[in-house]
This record gives sequence, C-alpha cells and structure tokens, in this order.
Amino acid sequence: MRRITLVQIKPNRKAKVAEISGGANLQNKLMHMGIFKGKEMTKLSHIGLRGPVVIKTGRSMLAIGHGIATKIILEVE
Amino acid sequence: MIKKIYLIGNPNVGKSVVFSRLTGVHVISSNYPGTTVEILKGYVYVGDEKIEIVDLPGTYSLEPTSHAEEVAVSLLKEYSKDEIVVINILDATNLERNLLLTLQLIEKGFRIVACLNMCDEAGHKGVHIDTEKLEKLLNVQVVPTCAVTGLGIKSLIEKIKDASPALRNQLTQEERWSEIGRIVEQVQRLEHRHHTLKELLEDASVRPLSGFMIASGIIYASFKTVRFIGEFIINKITDPVFINLYQPILEKLTLHWQEKGFWFHLLIGDLINSKIDFKQSLGVLTTAPYIEFGMVLPYVISFYLILSLLEDIGYLPRLAILLDNVLHRLGLHGFAVIPVLLGFGCNVPGILATRSLESKRERFIASTLISIGVPCIPLQAMIFGLLGQFGGLYVVGVYLVLFCLVLILGLIMNRFLTGYSPEFLLEIPTYRFPPLSTLLKKLYFRVKGFLIEAVPVVMIGVLVINILIYFKLFNLVTSISAPVIHGLFGLPKEAVVALIIGFIRKDVAVGMLMPLGLSAKQLFIGATLLAISFPCVATFVVLLKELGWKGLVKSTFIMVAISVIVGATLNFIILR
Repeated sequence: MRRITLVQIKPNRKAKVAEISGGANLQNKLMHMGIFKGKEMTKLSHIGLRGPVVIKTGRSMLAIGHGIATKIILEVE
Repeated sequence: MIKKIYLIGNPNVGKSVVFSRLTGVHVISSNYPGTTVEILKGYVYVGDEKIEIVDLPGTYSLEPTSHAEEVAVSLLKEYSKDEIVVINILDATNLERNLLLTLQLIEKGFRIVACLNMCDEAGHKGVHIDTEKLEKLLNVQVVPTCAVTGLGIKSLIEKIKDASPALRNQLTQEERWSEIGRIVEQVQRLEHRHHTLKELLEDASVRPLSGFMIASGIIYASFKTVRFIGEFIINKITDPVFINLYQPILEKLTLHWQEKGFWFHLLIGDLINSKIDFKQSLGVLTTAPYIEFGMVLPYVISFYLILSLLEDIGYLPRLAILLDNVLHRLGLHGFAVIPVLLGFGCNVPGILATRSLESKRERFIASTLISIGVPCIPLQAMIFGLLGQFGGLYVVGVYLVLFCLVLILGLIMNRFLTGYSPEFLLEIPTYRFPPLSTLLKKLYFRVKGFLIEAVPVVMIGVLVINILIYFKLFNLVTSISAPVIHGLFGLPKEAVVALIIGFIRKDVAVGMLMPLGLSAKQLFIGATLLAISFPCVATFVVLLKELGWKGLVKSTFIMVAISVIVGATLNFIILR
C-alpha cells in the first residue's frame, strides 16, 4: 500500500480515499459531494498547467481544482 | 393547512423543469449547476386550494457551504415545519448522490414528498429503482416522474396533501453515507450497459488533448453558426422588409413633406443623395428601428439560440474545466466562463451571473473584465456590419485586442488585488438533449427581454441625440475634447458624440460613427474604444449594485485609463 495524492495518480486508475488533509471546511465540502475517507474513485483526467482533476465516483463526474486535489490522499497498491 | 410548498434538490436534477410543470409559469432552466440563483415563485392547485410554491437554489446539503445553499436553507426556516411541504427532487440516474439531502430533510422533521425525476433517462442507462421499497425504507412517499414529458406530475400533486413527517434518528455525516449505501444496495438494480457514444463524448470532452480539440471545434462552429444565422436573417428577412416594404412607405409619406424642418430632421433625419439611407439618416423612424431590428436583433436571436443550446446540452461546465488553469492566473476559476459567455450576449446578465462566484475579489475581477473586454452582441453585430465591410481581418483584430487586454489586465489584477480566489469543485452534468420546445421557450424569453430593454432606450436615445444635434448642443463638447479625440486617437472630432452615446447604447453609438465616413483604421479604433471605454448605462447600474460605489469608482478608473492607453497605442504604434 502506497499513499499518493489525486494529482499524482495516473488517469484511468481506481483508488480509495485514505485521507483528506485539509481543514474541517474542506472536509465538509467534499463530504457533501460524496467524497470521504474510504470512498472509491476513478481518476478520469487531469488538465495540465495546474488545471483541475476530473474523477468519477459512484455515478457522478466531478471536477476538482488542482489545490484541493493535492489534499486528497489516495491509497494504491 | 399547507401555507407553502418548497422545491428542493441537488443542482441539475431537473428541478426547474418540475417547477414549470407544476406551476405552468414559464421558467428558464439550464443544464449547469447553480443556475437558479434568483428564487422563483409560482402557484399550484392542490385540490381547490391555490398554494404558493417556491423553487429553491440547488443544494447538496442542509449544512450550507455556498451562498446559494445558505439562501435555500434560510428560506426553509420561514414557516414552521407543520405549515409547509417540501418536495425533494431526486435524479433517478444518480440516486446515491441525491439521498444525502433527503435523509437530512427527513431527520429535520419536514413533511416531504420525494420526486424521483428523470426516470426515463435512468431506464436508458440501465438503472432500475424499486420505488415501493424506497418508499418503505425512507418512510416517505416517492413519486417517479419524467418532468420533460410531464409524466407523473399529476400524481406528485395528489400526494402533496398526504405528506407527513417520518421519524428518523439524527445521524452523523459518515453514518448517513453508509445508510445511503445500504438503501441504494436494496432498491437499485444496475443493468450492464456498454459505453454509449454519448458517454464516450462525455469523457473525451474533459480529457486534455481531445477536450481542447472538441472545445476549439465547438467554439469555432458556434461563432460561424451565429454569424451564418445572423446574416441569413438579415439578408433573407429583415433587409427585404426594410428596403422593399418599409422604405417605400416612408418615402411616400415624406413626399408631401415640403419643408424639411425640425420634425423632418427628428423623424427621418438627413437624406443621403436625396434618399433615405437606413444606415446614415439617423432619424427616429429610419436609423433607430433599422439598427435594432435590421442589424442587431438577427444576431441577438442567433447568439441566444446557440448559447441556450450549449447551456442545455451541458457543455459549459466542461469548457469551465478546460479553461480553469488559464482563468486561475487571472484571479478567477473555471466557472467564470459562464458569466463571460453570458456577457457576450449582454453585459448585464453576465455581471449578474458573477454572483455565482464565491469571493468578492473574484466578482470584482470578473465584472471589470466583462465590462472592458467582452463586447455585447449588439455591439458585435454593429462591428460585423460596419467593420466587416473592410475585411474580416479588422473584425478579428478587434477581438484580438480585447483578448490581449483581458489577459494583461487579469494578470495585473490577480497580482495586486488582495483577497483570495476559491478553488474549483463542480459536479459535471451528463449531456442531455433539450426538447426543442424548452429551447425555443428560453430563446423567446431572452429575445423578448432584449427587445423590452433595448427598443425604448434606442428610440428615446436617438430622439434626444437628434434634438441635441439640431440645436448644435454638442459643439462645445466636440471642441473641448478635440485634442484627445483627434490628437490622441486620430478620430474626427465629431466622433466624441458617438463615444458619449456609447454610455446609452453601444449599437447606436457605432451607428453614430457611420455617417462620419471613417477610414478602416479610424473605425477600428472607434469600435475598440467603444468596447472598452465605458459600459452602457444599464451595465453601469448593475456594476454599482454588485460592486458598490467604491468598487465602481475603482473599476471605472481602470476602464478610462485603459481606453486612453489603448486608443493612443493603436493610433500611434500598431496601426501607424
């Protein structure tokens, strides 16, 4: 098991959220969108030059700004 | 006794469509999250009773994290819980995501009816939901609907009366999600479907390489289509009407008008080669209606048709993702694309849409950039019509100058303004093909809105201008400003009148440049200056409302400074 951020993981890979290393406000915001510890997600793409990361989780597609994406830590094998 | 009904749901679940189905009131609904910024109200008949129904802004949770969500939550507190019924709209294609709000509503003790919308789409996607089981597990009534066709709306209304609170323990957020997992597992059956072309396109449009290719294709095609439809309407409809129908009537009327005095000047204007020239006569009955109906309206129609189509398909959030990195460097984030695009129609709705941006700093930057660098469609139509005669390169040139300005100005503002710009976090809707009737309805309301706003102002504006010109009241201003207008910008000194009129309406202002016989370079400078110098009065008023006096003064100072710099630069350096 390795821990990497949502920015670092390669597109089209699936992983579980290990931790959200942000304040309560961010944790809360993500929680409302259905992203919390243990949630599985697939990274779809990452727009370069610090653009957003696009993920699929459940049946939703979400775009997450670069800054937030660096705070979402995933667990990969 | 029910005093009020509230519609609540996540963004982009078809809430506005349900609302317009329930009330019959025409509502503009769009396919991007957060569209219902203003609160819509209407009435619905439950039995014989007429009850007010309120469409709340889309929200993911009752613990608000954004301004729109705060509004939704505070409105729910207006009445006590036994006086209201809450209709919770759920997207059947994405039940899991939607149930968080439902659980919170039940826990809080609201009387709710759950409306499981988009059932047909769920079926297409191979998502099957056992409504009865869901009803049992939640202990509230669940009505499957398809608001686009109107299916299930009737039974939704019938169930409003019987809505009663269900008992549920207060859960923590984590507990809610695991509860939702359990519920979804029991009620939802997924049929395996192969990826459809639509899904492949959905993915491709947010991947870097294919995304940018699709985006440039769409932007190019939109621009071309707007021009094509606009020109088509002008050549095939409005011009024939004006020239073959309206002009002979006017000429017959004026034939008997021997003395060409004050009234003639006011209504018909100057005759060019003893004929009425719709572009140059400048009369209240000649140039004024021609500018609005013959030059601007065709483009207003074609622009809003294409914009509404892109909105309803759900393309705009994807464009927002692709441009987020660029916009971040201008102190904005991807979502600012939407106000900017609206601004290309009219700056007023564009600036109003900046409300959806979270921070004050971001709203200031977006509003200033829109009023400087985004020409509204009436202005663009006039630029196409006038500058286009000298070749498309000049038209492209104006856009290029504006684009560079936005970039430079954004970089500077981002560097020096204090405050923060928040990060992007957005759910991306699936592509949906809007029913033609919804699209046309939206187009109708937007075009109507334009006509109501523009026509009286243009008519009165041209009238007042003509009076001022007749009594030679502009002469003083003209001679005072001559050093700047002529010396610095290289325009004939009379052009100042057009620049002043730009404060009333940009399209009329370009119209005022027409009779001056400007060279291509002069027209280029004039049109660019009109675009950047000063917003029209309507935009000015919203800027004041959105930014306050201090912000407005700051923004205005930037605009005036920029126009002087750009006008002089164009005149002395670039176009020398």
